[in-house]
Amino acid sequence: MSFDGKVLFCEHRPNNETKLGKVEKLKQAGTHPQVLVRADAVTKIYRSRMGESVEALAPTTLDIHEGEFLSLIGPSGCGKSTFLRILAGLETLSGGKLEWRDGAPTKGSDVGFVFQEPVLLPWLSILDNVRFPLDVFRTPKNEGNERARAMLALVGLGAFEKALPKELSGGMRQRAAIARALVYRPRIVLMDEPFGALDLLTRDRMNDELLRIKNETGSTIVFVTHSIEEAAYLSDRVAVMSARPGRISALHDLDLGPERSEAIKDDPRFYQWLSTLRKELR
Amino acid sequence: MSETTLRRLFAVATPLLLIGAWWAYVTIFNVPRFVLPPPDAVFSELVRLFTSGTIWPHLAHTVGVIVAGFAIGSAAGFALGFALGKWPRIERIVGPYLFFFQTAPKIALAPLFILWFGLGLTSKIVLTVSLVFFPVMVGTILGLRSVPANLHSLCAILKLSQREKLVRVELPAAVPEIFAGLKVAAVQATIGAILAEWLSGGTGLGYLMVFAGTTYKTPLLFAMVLVTSLLGIAVYQALALTEKWLLSWR
Ligand SMILES: Nc1ncnc2c1ncn2[C@@H]1O[C@H](COP(=O)(O)OP(=O)(O)OP(=O)(O)O)[C@@H](O)[C@H]1O
Ligand SMILES: [Mg+2]
Repeated sequence: MSFDGKVLFCEHRPNNETKLGKVEKLKQAGTHPQVLVRADAVTKIYRSRMGESVEALAPTTLDIHEGEFLSLIGPSGCGKSTFLRILAGLETLSGGKLEWRDGAPTKGSDVGFVFQEPVLLPWLSILDNVRFPLDVFRTPKNEGNERARAMLALVGLGAFEKALPKELSGGMRQRAAIARALVYRPRIVLMDEPFGALDLLTRDRMNDELLRIKNETGSTIVFVTHSIEEAAYLSDRVAVMSARPGRISALHDLDLGPERSEAIKDDPRFYQWLSTLRKELR
Repeated sequence: MSETTLRRLFAVATPLLLIGAWWAYVTIFNVPRFVLPPPDAVFSELVRLFTSGTIWPHLAHTVGVIVAGFAIGSAAGFALGFALGKWPRIERIVGPYLFFFQTAPKIALAPLFILWFGLGLTSKIVLTVSLVFFPVMVGTILGLRSVPANLHSLCAILKLSQREKLVRVELPAAVPEIFAGLKVAAVQATIGAILAEWLSGGTGLGYLMVFAGTTYKTPLLFAMVLVTSLLGIAVYQALALTEKWLLSWR
């Protein structure tokens, strides 16, 4: 179950794959998972102002599959955010490369990102904040409003569309930020501890909503969390990271099936995974 | 009595008390008019200024200098602040000169401006511009730099163009600091305009004050102090109101 090369490189990608037609692609997807992006020996070294360097990420190799829910767990400071920011193109690589199946994202609507803390534009109402990406992408206003409202309803903020960010609680703001990241249906959604600030009940609800949205949109999700339970509940696969230098120490395919609901929390296999992951985090 | 009525009472009572004390002092000690005129003399001078119409050309002149100086100065301050805020490398080059220019007392520069630009309107506007320019520039730089790192990341994720990022994110985020600069600049513009009129020319509120002072028309001088103060407050309030309207999200 632990890290091995075979799990990482579960598919050998033919070079002409991008030229394959849609039908062939779908056929392939039925049998093997399609690699959406491959991180190939990616490293990140930060240089501090004193000239010292911090190796935030040792050579890290990881395939991210089309349509999967992949969680990253690991102790604080092990490079989870760094890896996510690299995937998002927010951080330059110090070494290695990212190979995207259809080429690196070029459109703003390709990637969704939810930051560790809610990042909203304080002068815009909640509705305008959620519609912001659609405005940037020149979606007609009516359609934009419709989609933003539907998304707000989904995250339970339907009654707050006219409110300003400062008038909402931290958890509500984070839900608005999540709605903004999902409203344009990005191919890959990168989430950095998005539910860390939510109470347990809301967190459970948001988990289910997230799975529902994911099933609807078919987006690929890479999800950073501190909660083992959350990771096990949501994920198809879980990557365990360890610190100093940051690296992936284990990668697991959770055999809990694609359908997740509260019932799964009573499944013995679920408990088994919790204890496995907990041990590996130590 | 509620706190608000009490506060209102104070707001009315304090100036009345001050005027009363002023009046009592002048009458009891028989102070000469050219040293300290009684309040009623100042008031009737004020009324005369407006009813006879003497004040209007002067007021119009001063307001004109303020508006022109403020407009040109804040446009230039914004433009340079924008360049420096967006490209810190430029700041490293021109920063020291700007700092030198700013620390030089503008009042000392005023005679130089008169020498260069003559006794007319131009030198007055130049002096006002020189006072308005700096606070607006600093406000613009601070505003653009105050955009949180995460907002820059958001723009990078959504791949906003430079122009779009500026219009949709950076400028709105900078508005509070820019307005802080504009408000300081508005007060400076008023001071600058009156100061310039003090030094040269035959019109304007500043000129009227010099005239009143040198001819010992002390009631007129006091009336002018009142008028210029009120003008300063009006200019400041106009900006504060615009700010309040623009920044209702704060
Ligand atoms: N901009 C930076 N400059 C220098 N060092 C950095 C920078 N960002 C992160 N680091 C370092 O890189 C390492 C990984 O940081 P990162 O934020 O990726 O950790 P993390 O796993 O997300 O932690 P947490 O769970 O606390 O959010 C840390 O040791 C951190 O000190
Ligand atoms: Mg982090």
